Amino acid sequence: MSGALVIIERELLALLRSQRTLAILMTVAISSAVVVILKWPTSGVVDLSGAQARQVFQWLTYAMLTASLLIIPVFPAISLVREVRGRTLELLLNSPLSRASIYFGKAGAMMGFVMLLLFATIPAMSCCYMMGGLSLSNDVAKLYGFLFAVALHLVVIGLLVGTYARTTEAALRWSYGVTFAVTVVTVFPNFFLQGSDSLIAAGARWLRLLSPIPALMKIVSQQSIGGAGLIEDRDPLRWYLILAAVQIVIGSIVVIKRLSHSLLDRSRSQGIITDEQTAGVRAARRVFFLIDPQKRSTGIPWYLNPVMVKEFRSRQFGRLHWLIRLVAGCAVLSLMLTLATTLGTIDWEVEPIGGLIIVLQVALIVLMTPGLAGGMIAGEIEGGGWNLLRVTPISAGKILRGKLISVCITLALLLCATLPGYAIIMLIKPSLQEQVWQVLISLVMAALVSMFVSATVSSFFRSTAGATTVSYALLILLFAGPMLIWMNRDAPFGHTFVEKSLVLNPMAAALNAIQATGFESYNLIPAAWYFAGGLCSVLVIVLYLRIRQLTRPE
Amino acid sequence: MASQEPVVVIRDLSKHYGEFVALDRLSLTLERGSILGFIGPNGAGKTTTIRILVGLARPTSGTATIAGADCVKDLHKVRKLVGYMPDKFGSYDNMRVREYLDFFGAAFSIPRSVRRKRIEEVLELTNATWMQDRFVESLSHGMQQRVGIARTLLHNPEVLILDEPANGLDPEARIEMREILLRLASEGRTLIVTSHILPELSRICNKVGIVAGGKLRAFGTLPEVTRELSQKQTIEIQLLTSENMQAIADKATQFLGPESEITVSAAESIVRCRTAANEEKLAQLLQKLISEGHRVAQFREVAGDLEEAFVSAARVADAERAAAKKSQEVAR
Repeated sequence: MSGALVIIERELLALLRSQRTLAILMTVAISSAVVVILKWPTSGVVDLSGAQARQVFQWLTYAMLTASLLIIPVFPAISLVREVRGRTLELLLNSPLSRASIYFGKAGAMMGFVMLLLFATIPAMSCCYMMGGLSLSNDVAKLYGFLFAVALHLVVIGLLVGTYARTTEAALRWSYGVTFAVTVVTVFPNFFLQGSDSLIAAGARWLRLLSPIPALMKIVSQQSIGGAGLIEDRDPLRWYLILAAVQIVIGSIVVIKRLSHSLLDRSRSQGIITDEQTAGVRAARRVFFLIDPQKRSTGIPWYLNPVMVKEFRSRQFGRLHWLIRLVAGCAVLSLMLTLATTLGTIDWEVEPIGGLIIVLQVALIVLMTPGLAGGMIAGEIEGGGWNLLRVTPISAGKILRGKLISVCITLALLLCATLPGYAIIMLIKPSLQEQVWQVLISLVMAALVSMFVSATVSSFFRSTAGATTVSYALLILLFAGPMLIWMNRDAPFGHTFVEKSLVLNPMAAALNAIQATGFESYNLIPAAWYFAGGLCSVLVIVLYLRIRQLTRPE
Repeated sequence: MASQEPVVVIRDLSKHYGEFVALDRLSLTLERGSILGFIGPNGAGKTTTIRILVGLARPTSGTATIAGADCVKDLHKVRKLVGYMPDKFGSYDNMRVREYLDFFGAAFSIPRSVRRKRIEEVLELTNATWMQDRFVESLSHGMQQRVGIARTLLHNPEVLILDEPANGLDPEARIEMREILLRLASEGRTLIVTSHILPELSRICNKVGIVAGGKLRAFGTLPEVTRELSQKQTIEIQLLTSENMQAIADKATQFLGPESEITVSAAESIVRCRTAANEEKLAQLLQKLISEGHRVAQFREVAGDLEEAFVSAARVADAERAAAKKSQEVAR
């Protein structure tokens, strides 16, 4: 166990010494305080029922869970990948420390950081508790215990991802992806299938128990998402803790098993090529592959930007066969959304379904774009490719165009996924045609803003991990920040202030266009488009100037 | 091989980073077909010079031209004239060697049909044809170095600038690298090669530039440089028989002074003298040995090695730095 302590000491000290950790802790402390201040009674008097205090408590718990989901996955995944890439894991494995000690040391250090993160919310929670109506053991202690369990769950996921990822960028992308899948995606099937007795619906009910969200809602005494008054047959909190414990134990065993020299000696496929296979193999591959990934690629034609082709080829899922798979995946997603739209409009109105599609789509954009554009320049500098590009005659403009087009095409494919859903909306309610067009324009704006923010951030960093993290933070601030203000639309913020804030957010413009609940009274279009267009123009100029600066002699 | 036509001309090149002087009025001229071994301790200014030559850095003062193109004003032209291989390989994930080369070929606007042929040529030249379908990141360091050289050759540059091409290579790969570089020079290209593996460099270079503390300490052919930098020279007295060798050694000590190092190799019948004595003293010694009837077969100067010259230059730079620091402290 002393071995684990050695690792904990080293890891935790390294974390605490970084300015980034301090910035994160400060941000969490300030944001949680802001959440409480926003919901603080304007009259300075609290009702005796404790309803107001509970409302503040609810907002604070959601803010704490969101912070945990955004911050915690980054550290464990990156920590392990850096250790592998820097060959320091080799030194650890060759020391008398056992693999379990290394694992528990790393997990322990991360949990130490989590403790600090939770401590940072204590001032806000104390204010909330002071308002009354909350029990120290049943509410506050229970919440902190629960968040500690969620954090442990996320740390194990992060470490597990770290043993598979080869680069910090991939580690970051996959740890966010898996976290998003476990916490958010698992909730949705039940959302659509609840009330049904089918086997799939039963599976969906179990699946949602993997997510901490229903459990948290139980802690704050709220109905589960879209519960529609149905009585839950299983206690989500108890089941989440059981399932998370199972995942933690299995995940820990897998990570400990994988923490070996094989992590350092992961030779990748050296590159089998179909052109050199036997005639039989070649014929078989022609039948089974629409686009054979092992076929020798032809040269880059003159009419294509070489940087764009390079971006696609060097991206893990950027090859043509992967793009076709992405299109196929989008088509399936699209069909599911279409089905959801059709079924949903029977029970609900068209607008809430439209709003749901918009939120999902923007969530997908915000999740994907930093992974695509965050490493655009920073990754190139980190990998040493940037200097090679600088000594070629390619101009700054051509480099920028190539890189941006490669992101644009991928985002366009993602956006296309939901087009049939909107088509159904227009079919059901033809009067919405113009509004749907406005939604589509707003979504394109959302994608462009995400892309330019991530790309610009990338040009100011020398490591992908830093650029991607800052891109995520900025995009979340841009898309979630105005929504937080909107949620407080009656008090303390007035209508004008909320409207001005929402203008910053293209997603709000789309929700306004579809007249989603709560957005009907605002007039965001075309002001939101002008703002997004203006922001994109400024970012393009900054990005271009920055690329010019980076390509010029120092 | 090397012609008299200058290709690389550097005049009073200086580069300052704030108060730190990375390069101090460095000047040198390199003829077509030369192989320049550009050596110096870490932080001496080699990479700074190279970065200015390839257009990655701008000099504070002075000029550098490649085939008449100014490295600051004619950057576009310089990029086409120079093939640069940095010490860091700069690979892209998920790209095969052929695709990697194809991208850089396209970046240099080589038409697709020509590019395909050119890729085959450079792969053959660097003995890398067999790895064309392999993923770049799956290659060993030595293989990546060969791909790196193939990349620099794609646009058929006149001047090749290779930063530490033999770094981290095993002996076999180093021999292969040496053969590749000699082959390139025989094609009439001018090569600037930095390396810390000095014996390796001395085998291929016909010019040596030693830089230390931002200054060019010596420049010329290997014998010129070693003569310039070595404070002591080595003289070998080859005798017909191994008789009276100790007497000859004593005589050498007497003539050349006690600070000279005299060693006797009876098996080779050679007396070696490392001495700072001048030519006059050496002539007197030879005359005395012959007059005393010693059967001297050869009396020759042994060329100094690069390592010695390198150490000597580094020591001078260290001494300068220490003196500058001391004078700063005194001024304070």
